Amino acid sequence: MVRNAREEILGKLRAAPKREVSVRPEMSPLNEVALDREQMIAKFTETLFLQTGIVHRVKDNHEALDKLKEIAEAEGLKRVVVSTDDVIAPLDLPSWGEQNGVHVSRARDFKDRNEFKDEVFARVEAGITGADFAVAESGTLGLIHDADQARLISLAPILHIALVPVERFVPVYESAINKIFENGDTLPSQFTFITGPSMTADIQATPFRGMHGPRRIIVILIG
Amino acid sequence: MNIQTEQFVEVARREMADLTSRAFLQLLPPVIAAMRKAGMATFPDPDAANEYSRAIRAEVVARLPELLEEFEANATARGATVIWARDAKEANDFILNLALERGIKYVTKGKSMVSEELGTNDVLIRNGIEAFETDLGEFIAQQLHRPPFHIVGPAVNVSVQEVCDLFMEKAGMEEPTTDPVELGYAARLYLRDKFHHLEMGITGVNMAVAETGSIINVENEGNIRLTKSSPRIQVSVMSIEKVVPNMEDAMHVLRLLCRNCTGQSISSYVSIDTGPKKDDEIDGPEELYIVIVDNGRSDLYGDVKAREALRCIRCGACLNHCPVYATIGGYPYGWAYSGPMGQVLNPLLLGLERTQDLYRACTLCGACKEVCPSGIDHPSMFLYYRSKDVKGDGELKGKKRDWKEVSIFKLFTLASTLPWFWNMGIRLLRPLYNRNAENGVVTHMSGPFEGWFRTRNLPAIPSKTFHERWKNIREKRSS
Ligand code: SF4
Repeated sequence: MVRNAREEILGKLRAAPKREVSVRPEMSPLNEVALDREQMIAKFTETLFLQTGIVHRVKDNHEALDKLKEIAEAEGLKRVVVSTDDVIAPLDLPSWGEQNGVHVSRARDFKDRNEFKDEVFARVEAGITGADFAVAESGTLGLIHDADQARLISLAPILHIALVPVERFVPVYESAINKIFENGDTLPSQFTFITGPSMTADIQATPFRGMHGPRRIIVILIG
Repeated sequence: MNIQTEQFVEVARREMADLTSRAFLQLLPPVIAAMRKAGMATFPDPDAANEYSRAIRAEVVARLPELLEEFEANATARGATVIWARDAKEANDFILNLALERGIKYVTKGKSMVSEELGTNDVLIRNGIEAFETDLGEFIAQQLHRPPFHIVGPAVNVSVQEVCDLFMEKAGMEEPTTDPVELGYAARLYLRDKFHHLEMGITGVNMAVAETGSIINVENEGNIRLTKSSPRIQVSVMSIEKVVPNMEDAMHVLRLLCRNCTGQSISSYVSIDTGPKKDDEIDGPEELYIVIVDNGRSDLYGDVKAREALRCIRCGACLNHCPVYATIGGYPYGWAYSGPMGQVLNPLLLGLERTQDLYRACTLCGACKEVCPSGIDHPSMFLYYRSKDVKGDGELKGKKRDWKEVSIFKLFTLASTLPWFWNMGIRLLRPLYNRNAENGVVTHMSGPFEGWFRTRNLPAIPSKTFHERWKNIREKRSS
């Protein structure tokens, strides 16, 4: 290598004529910022519905388990993978599964990545996760990925069921982002906004859901 | 990807005669444009929202070197490995060597325009590593060896029969079908197996956040999330202008990007990576490589006019509003970038000489400029390219015209600035020029002006010009 690529590229950029950075124009805050919680929930539900997402609301964890049972029966779920985040862990889904005839696995049940992948790609019928944020602006869920929120659970199975306590509603993306990124020392390796199912319209502009990720998404709001 | 920018006119003619292409062009751009409009209306003040993202993009271009350094420092601090590549070869060599070193048999690709630009797939395939495009449209376009028809729907014009034949042959589909949904499902099954056993994934980058060292991908299908979650090794390739100052700016640009691209307020998935996975995580990359590609951009950064092209965020809004694109579709632009976006970018990246028709196939109507969330002034860019081209420009590889054309225009300039010269010229040329006149109008001409007259008429020069009559009148009056 004649000269370091980095130095060469940055060198050329630095040597180029400088231009003033203009001041940012005024911009009024988004309408959603003024919403109270119930309005946020209404907006979220309405917007997600347009993306074919279904939203249920239950009072507490106990009802959440009942709702899950109802969904499992309706969908004929026999095998699911669940996260272990702070919404899901207290629900003790493995015992719930035993009572309801659903095989429940968690990331920590697997020896390594490959075994985990076999489960999420080839065996389960649904992934159940908590969510860290529900964003009213566009019917969007925010998931912080870590050891308790493996990435593939909300992605590989054909059905995604997400549970969100209503305290986690925020009006706009920035409200979520600012909370996550305010402390530079504890940034998650991945953060994901999820809005509706996986989709495409690449063949003849015909909409098709469940392209590579979930075909359907069901959200259970708790509280 | 083959560069076919020089066949612009030929391909445009063919596409204008293609009924399927025409049908989609009549449907797709107006529908997306209407959806965009509805999406923009969700802002309290859509114009202000647009102006704000334009200001962000202007700032990015102005502060490019410092933002890149800041991004590199933060990404590295979070555990990513940043690689700088001067050109396509350096970027591709890095990716290839990494794959060979790790014994990779195949990679999946998330839609990445810069890797189209670099021709990464070809390099990998030539060296025995399979590369699967995984965005459905890209997958079809790749298998059919066609450039993208539309930025959002690269293969949206391909007939179901053709897709069916392709999937029977190459994607292991067992029963023929012409139902788009079943075809989509067949592609899901085929590519799912690839995702499942994936060891190395390659993605593009929509935004790279300087303040946090994060990279952001925006998508609907989930193929990019899978490409980043399943394998041990993730390579994300970005061109230098993808950087934005901070997360708040990224969120605002995200809103504009989605509304302009597909009319959605947000795409199904937006994933933000900051460093590789932590030790206790079961999925996500153990190794995260971010390849920052220059490929000619730092050279044009020295040209303060040309560098404005780097504002583009590849949203595709300009395509959906361009009357020329709506007539000819994406193929004639002959490379990774099509529509007004391609007319702005391709000439800079490939040189003005081999992209002659791109910056000339424009009526300068300005519809693209009006919608662009990055604040690119396309028409003025095209005028700039045209002038650089005829004058001949080393940096931008302008063609420079031959002495005949140059002398004709020198003469014309002289004549139109000196009245006596103009009048003399008219008198001398009149008999020659009027030979082609019919009913006082000249509709055709042979020689160097043939092309000009193909779509235009000029009146014949009258036996007495205004100047001559004026002179006569004045002489009469004074006598
Ligand atoms: S040039 Fe076109 S693709 Fe690029 S930002 Fe502007 S409108 Fe979008």
